[in-house]
Amino acid sequence: MQLAILHAASWLVPRHERPEWFAEWSSELWYVEEAASCQATAFCLGAFRDALWLRRNALPNPAQTRDLGSPYHSIVLLALVAAAAVFCALRWPPPPLPPGVSPGDILGLHLMLAMMAFVVLCGVNSVGLGEYPANPYAPGGLARLGRWAFFAVKSALLVLIVIVGSVHLGALGSGTVFTYFVAFRWAISDQRKRCPVCLHRLVRPIRIGEASHTFLSWYGTEFICAKGHGLLHVPEIPTSCYSTQEWLYLPSWSGLFSNG
Amino acid sequence: MLAEPKLSHTAAMILEAIHAGYIYGFSVMEVTGLPSGTVYPALRRLERDGLIRSEWERQSVADRALRPARKYYKLTRSGKAALEAAHKRYPLLAGLIPVLEVEKA
Repeated sequence: MQLAILHAASWLVPRHERPEWFAEWSSELWYVEEAASCQATAFCLGAFRDALWLRRNALPNPAQTRDLGSPYHSIVLLALVAAAAVFCALRWPPPPLPPGVSPGDILGLHLMLAMMAFVVLCGVNSVGLGEYPANPYAPGGLARLGRWAFFAVKSALLVLIVIVGSVHLGALGSGTVFTYFVAFRWAISDQRKRCPVCLHRLVRPIRIGEASHTFLSWYGTEFICAKGHGLLHVPEIPTSCYSTQEWLYLPSWSGLFSNG
Repeated sequence: MLAEPKLSHTAAMILEAIHAGYIYGFSVMEVTGLPSGTVYPALRRLERDGLIRSEWERQSVADRALRPARKYYKLTRSGKAALEAAHKRYPLLAGLIPVLEVEKA
């Protein structure tokens, strides 16, 4: 029973930390059972809180983030998923449309559902991509265009995957709105964590400051571009000084990261 | 980063317990009376902040005693400095935890 609780809680722990986490809890459980077996269940229930803390605070596993680090890898991966979805739709044709409904109507309906999901997303979440101050070191128009093009291609591929998936499954409604919501949320969140110059995923998150010292100070997480283009400050709690994430261009650092 | 991190009362109590010789999670729970859901996340947070460090007991030692190996925690130099600062902030802290005579009992 107690081990089952620990196994259930271990699913919340990031995979790369799970074996050590489970080893520590199961070892401690042995001692708890020796000392006071009646407290073992209460002891194990605390594992959920510990696992949640780890899930929230653990640093991302570099092996997992490397795959989607490059913008090309991200687009290729999404394109492969979209191609697989289209292939499945062609291989196993979807259920026939109801009489009087044309494919154009379905696309129009999807457009409406996608807009609905975006409105919900705007209501419950910030959709801003952060502050990229205009200064002499900021990338030129072509790089800015590339950033938006990447976001547009990524979003278009996600929409294609959702359309093909929901048409194939014959599911239209709140489930589709939710799927669009998740897709848009991921697209925005992924875009925020990318370098505006090279579009690679930012790495090495470091927490700065303390929650109790937000007055005239800064509390949040700092990410760095592995190629040395700059730093991203993400405030943990939006304040009047730091309401949104802010990018700091560091062109003089590029030489230090020439091998990155 | 602040030179002297200000610890919460719970974190200070856990640091004091480790300093007093209660060097694994369950013993910290027993001596402080805090639940497991508070002690273990606090230990991780203290370790992340560099105030304590953990070390697994050698498997051979545990095997000889016919029990599973356990993870021990130890104060770092910053942890000792933070505890000294916490003693000034919480003057009654030192008297809360009895010093353990034999470590790794």
